[in-house]
Amino acid sequence: MARRGGCALLALCGSLAACAWLLGAEARGAGGPAAGARRRRRPQEDGISFEYHRYPELREALVSVWLQCAAVSRIYTVGRSFEGRELLVLELSDSPGVHEPGEPEFKYIGNMHGNEAVGRELLIFLAQYLCNEYQKGNETIVQLIHNTRIHIMPSLNPDGFEKAASQLGELKDWFVGRSNAQGIDLNRNFPDLDRIVYVNEKEGGPNNHLLKNLKKIVDQNTKLAPETKAVIHWIMDIPFVLSANLHGGDLVANYPYDETRSGSAHEYSFCPDDDIFQSLARAYSSFNPPMSDPDRPPCRKNDDDSSFVEGTTNGAAWYSVPGGMQDFNYLSSNCFEITVELSCEKFPPEETLKNYWEDNKNSLISYIHQIHRGVKGFVRDLQGNPIANATISVEGIDHDVTSAKDGDYWRLLVPGNYKLTASAPGYLAIAKKVAVPYSPAVRVDFELESFSERKEEKEELMEWWKMMSETLNF
Amino acid sequence: QKLQLREPGAKLFPKPSVEEWVSFGPALGLWYWCSTAAQFRLSPNRQAAKIAEAEADKIKKTYPPENKPGESNYSFVDNLNLLKAITEKEKNKKERQSVKISPNDNKLNVEDVDSTKNRRLIDDYDSTKSGLDRKFQDDPDGLHQLDGTPLTAEDIVQKIATRIYEENDRGVFDRIVSKLLNLGLITESQAHTLEDEVAEVLQKLISKEANNYEEELNKPTSKTESQTGKIPEKVTPMAAIQNAFTNGENDETVSNTLTLTNGLERRTKTYSEDNFEELQYFPNFYALLKSIDSEKEAKEKETLITIMKTLIDFVKMMVKYGTISPEEGVSYLVPSEKSHEETDSTKEEAAKMEKEYGTLKDSTKDDDSNPRGKTDEPKGKTEAYLEAIRKNIDWLKKHNIKENKEGQRNHKEVMVSLFTPCIQFKQHENQDYDLSKMRDFINQQADAYVEKGILDKEEADAIKRIYSSL
Repeated sequence: MARRGGCALLALCGSLAACAWLLGAEARGAGGPAAGARRRRRPQEDGISFEYHRYPELREALVSVWLQCAAVSRIYTVGRSFEGRELLVLELSDSPGVHEPGEPEFKYIGNMHGNEAVGRELLIFLAQYLCNEYQKGNETIVQLIHNTRIHIMPSLNPDGFEKAASQLGELKDWFVGRSNAQGIDLNRNFPDLDRIVYVNEKEGGPNNHLLKNLKKIVDQNTKLAPETKAVIHWIMDIPFVLSANLHGGDLVANYPYDETRSGSAHEYSFCPDDDIFQSLARAYSSFNPPMSDPDRPPCRKNDDDSSFVEGTTNGAAWYSVPGGMQDFNYLSSNCFEITVELSCEKFPPEETLKNYWEDNKNSLISYIHQIHRGVKGFVRDLQGNPIANATISVEGIDHDVTSAKDGDYWRLLVPGNYKLTASAPGYLAIAKKVAVPYSPAVRVDFELESFSERKEEKEELMEWWKMMSETLNF
Repeated sequence: QKLQLREPGAKLFPKPSVEEWVSFGPALGLWYWCSTAAQFRLSPNRQAAKIAEAEADKIKKTYPPENKPGESNYSFVDNLNLLKAITEKEKNKKERQSVKISPNDNKLNVEDVDSTKNRRLIDDYDSTKSGLDRKFQDDPDGLHQLDGTPLTAEDIVQKIATRIYEENDRGVFDRIVSKLLNLGLITESQAHTLEDEVAEVLQKLISKEANNYEEELNKPTSKTESQTGKIPEKVTPMAAIQNAFTNGENDETVSNTLTLTNGLERRTKTYSEDNFEELQYFPNFYALLKSIDSEKEAKEKETLITIMKTLIDFVKMMVKYGTISPEEGVSYLVPSEKSHEETDSTKEEAAKMEKEYGTLKDSTKDDDSNPRGKTDEPKGKTEAYLEAIRKNIDWLKKHNIKENKEGQRNHKEVMVSLFTPCIQFKQHENQDYDLSKMRDFINQQADAYVEKGILDKEEADAIKRIYSSL
């Protein structure tokens, strides 16, 4: 604050640095021969060490980010894996721990298949990177952190990762460590809402928020892995708007639906938001040179990548996946999620991690920015009270979103002219027309009138207001 | 019956020159006016009649005077509701009927304002921007009663306030109140009491502050006598503020109204060296004031002093209504005393820290129960954490110094930058973060993380140790 204080801090930091160096010297001296010790390499770039992080290192990395950026970060856990490891999340926002009304929520989840390791590492790098850039005053990142609540979960399957990482030698098996400690493939373990939706399409019924009445069923379902349950609760608790699920084994950005309608092995299966999903997937792939390279050969000679377009693919067109997390997000909540396959090799050599970071850095940031698109705003009653769980529907798109508990909503849309309708039980619906650019999101608020408000009161009010206006000369 | 809106000669704030009002007057006026006007719910979307009646019926309902710690949100309407809460509470203590300042007197000064010059300040107070809106809605419990009607009148208040500035006509406010009375939307006594109580509360705080700076309080335009009994001793501003914070709640005496304002008025004309010296306890201002040439820029100096007083009032108001704790309020106005010590003892600190880390290092060597069996792992971790903490401190330091430099010359910028943090008093507002606050926060978080299994106990201890040695 005062110049004196500032000088003091300078001196302090000087002595801190001296201490760090001293400590570092000691560590370097004693580091080598300790039996069983994993030698820690010096950080390679700005505090980002491009090496695989086991569970303790993962935790340490996140704690370091939190310590460095304590004002804009928080670590929390959504639950525990089967073997008791915490499912850690690093949150970055200008008010960590708090949902600010109107501020959209974003998540990245990596490593749900334990042997698909690149996503896990990229997310650790990303957390460090965002913190570094924030402190450097990188305007883009500063704005992003101030206007978004970013949740980063490097690993949804830490148990699987340990198994995969414990394999000796550079070449890791295609399957070891994929499932959780119970042998459950987490990306087939979610309630299959696609199936329900396809039935509803034929027989009538909703295609969103299908989990509303199923929360209890979820809790009692013994077939769900603890990791799956933890994520489901997480999705229910936080009004996520946009998400990506990081995998490995190929190089493409994949979007809903993941499961074919007919049950066949491959079949493009449109979801109502196909347009925006394609745009979102491209927003990721276009910044990743190999992913969006049209001349890139497939990962394996006989792979069928005929469904890939500009580094993106419809899930079911590629191959049918039932019970996946991506579609579960879309059909149970307001969150739009895509699946990103980051590497032909699931668990590549450590030396390649830096390259993967370079290839994906811009994509990861660009994708977070996509959250600030479309339309957003508040749904309130005439007294200004927020209306939670109001329905916001878009004419021409058969998929509604709902407002969160502060009445805030976000509706991702590609550019165009739309008619939005907000409605809630007991209220008169209101429709508004809006022209949506590519970005940023257009603000559209709704004030809903409840049925019970009487006409006389309204007239009295208008009378009063008319007089006020005359007085004030509006 | 005459409303006590137009008490002649009664002023809340000094009557400075046009230039001074251009800088800060509108801000104050707007702030205060918005607070009081918002209570009348000037919005077409409200069922005003119903609400007013309901309010009359529910006067017995007491608002909690202290805002809950988590709800550290500040908006004009928040402030107003808290004012209401206080006034409700004090009404129940049945203290009444002395000559009071009306809030409208503030607007007497508005007449002098050339409001077209400084619209930017209004933007700073536009509660529809920058989180005030959202902050308000984060506050469900204390302020949304009466049929769930919150007192949100941001848009219309802004519009009306704008109109007043453009027209320089405080009579607008008078007319509104009159109309409301005529419509029967509020009762006369309600109008009286509400305005009076609001003014009273503000006056108390301001006068307390004035007492610390004024040596002579003998402008007898007020008939209240209780003021003399309440003049605190001449103490350091910090102690004075702390006193004000802790005593404010219990002060039930009638407001002193005018003595303060006239004192202020006097001071803007001839300011005494004494005031200036006391300000040395506020290094920011002191530095700024010193840098201004007294002869050439006397006005600027006076304005700065008034600004600072207003800032203090602001902070005291927030403390009064529980938006922040007294300690926070004090620490906000006065930098940590630690920084004084640190200048002299950095060498000691460094030696102390080396010793700290020596101990740390030794303990990890002796720690046979380390489950991982990796003896350099804890060391490496501590080093990583130390590195991270150092980066955090570096960044804090950079932020603070940068602000200081930029703020030197332009007192308008100083004022805006000072007021803005006031209004956006969020827990994690980076610009205001000082070391001791950070340390407490980290300690608290570290413990929480240990509980949740995010940190080991030893890790947490190491982190706490690093911070405590700073």
